[in-house]
Amino acid sequence: MTGNDAWLNNYLVVGALLFSLGAVGFLTRRNLIVIFLCAELMLQGVSTTLVGFSGFHGTWGGQVSAIFSLALAAAEAGVALALFVMLFKRGFSLDVSIWSDLREEDQPPVEEEPLGDEPVEKPREWPHLAPAGRLPERQSAGTSVGGAAVAGAARHEPVTAGEGAGHHG
Amino acid sequence: MTGLPRLERGTELMAGPSLWGFAPLFAAGMLDGPLAQYSLRVLGALLPLFLGVFLMLPRGGADRSPIRWLGAALVVLSLVLLVTFPLTSADGAVPDSAATTLWGLPQTISCYTFHALAFVSVTAAALMITARNPVYSALWFSLVLLSNSGLYLLQGADFLSASTIIVYAGAIVVTFLFVIMLAQPNGAARYDRFAREGLLSAVTGLLLSGVLIAALHLVLRTEPRGPVAGIASRPADSVVTIHAAANRNSLLASHPHVAGLGRTLFTDQVVSVEITGLLLLAAVVGAMLIAGHRTEESHDRK
Repeated sequence: MTGNDAWLNNYLVVGALLFSLGAVGFLTRRNLIVIFLCAELMLQGVSTTLVGFSGFHGTWGGQVSAIFSLALAAAEAGVALALFVMLFKRGFSLDVSIWSDLREEDQPPVEEEPLGDEPVEKPREWPHLAPAGRLPERQSAGTSVGGAAVAGAARHEPVTAGEGAGHHG
Repeated sequence: MTGLPRLERGTELMAGPSLWGFAPLFAAGMLDGPLAQYSLRVLGALLPLFLGVFLMLPRGGADRSPIRWLGAALVVLSLVLLVTFPLTSADGAVPDSAATTLWGLPQTISCYTFHALAFVSVTAAALMITARNPVYSALWFSLVLLSNSGLYLLQGADFLSASTIIVYAGAIVVTFLFVIMLAQPNGAARYDRFAREGLLSAVTGLLLSGVLIAALHLVLRTEPRGPVAGIASRPADSVVTIHAAANRNSLLASHPHVAGLGRTLFTDQVVSVEITGLLLLAAVVGAMLIAGHRTEESHDRK
């Protein structure tokens, strides 16, 4: 199915919005990985535009270009993630501003806004599964299954054995 | 299928061959009555989006602060405005349709599908660039990819839609997640919780998207409406249009699906395919060389 003018307009609007949002994220964030994700978002905006044009003209050219941009994004992600791993090994941080000494020699240093003094957030406590039932007691070597059942029955009525309660307490 | 659109240039728009030709274009657009109105309305409809993004940007504080919710509400409001708010009063914003809104479409099923997918895509993009945790950024990005592949499917790009899900969301985003977990084992770092130059960036984004959409509108507006009589009657037409017509008659008609795409890829674009393969090989070798290299510090720590 090929589109008409209205479809082309809509796809171009979506592409423009994705591209602009990616640009905003690229400019504002400090984390290397998030910056790179924002660059990928800009590529997505361009791909949406290309697909819109492909449907509009009824040709394969836009889709072929979008496929090439997909392959390009894959290659780019591979190299960039390898770089991030190496930079993290050296600097123990993913902050872009600590790598500002990679600039040209005659360039003045970039004046960064200072980070707020909010303490680093603690690792988040994720919910974990509640233990199901109690741990099985270690059975001695001679106890059979029937003996375990008898012991379980005895646990339900601890009052009957007075010296047993003293031992367990 | 409507008639083939013309690609001829509007005479009053392209004043010069250079980029500066756009300056009198936009000056004229600002002075012109309906165009000035249109540009202001586009900026007004986009303003809540970038204001919401600015409010949602991390600047310390709790993750779920009310300001962040307010920003998300503004983003949704802006998208609703794009669909409902009439941007032109006199004639349609889009030629060949009676729509007066930016996202106007004929009321069909695919219209609603498009609106839902575009909503999800743009909202997830706004949430992605403002998430504190990079893991959440990657997950929102995969949602953007999923909805975008739905958009591709609406345009008949089946293979591209499937490969976006498989390659992008299935491989690239997962690799991102691996690196995030490798490099950020404990919690959100301080540099994730403070954006820099949020206001300036939001204004930049507003102006960028406004200029893009206004330029698109100007180009679409100057194109002739209605079906074009025939290509043969316009011998001085641009090469692109004639090529599109030829392809529409031959390739897409005879091979409407992946077969046609494969034929285009491996006949017209075969050199590009080979070069792309070379690029991927170089990227693999480079990535192994970069990441496999062990620095002295890490060697000493072992």
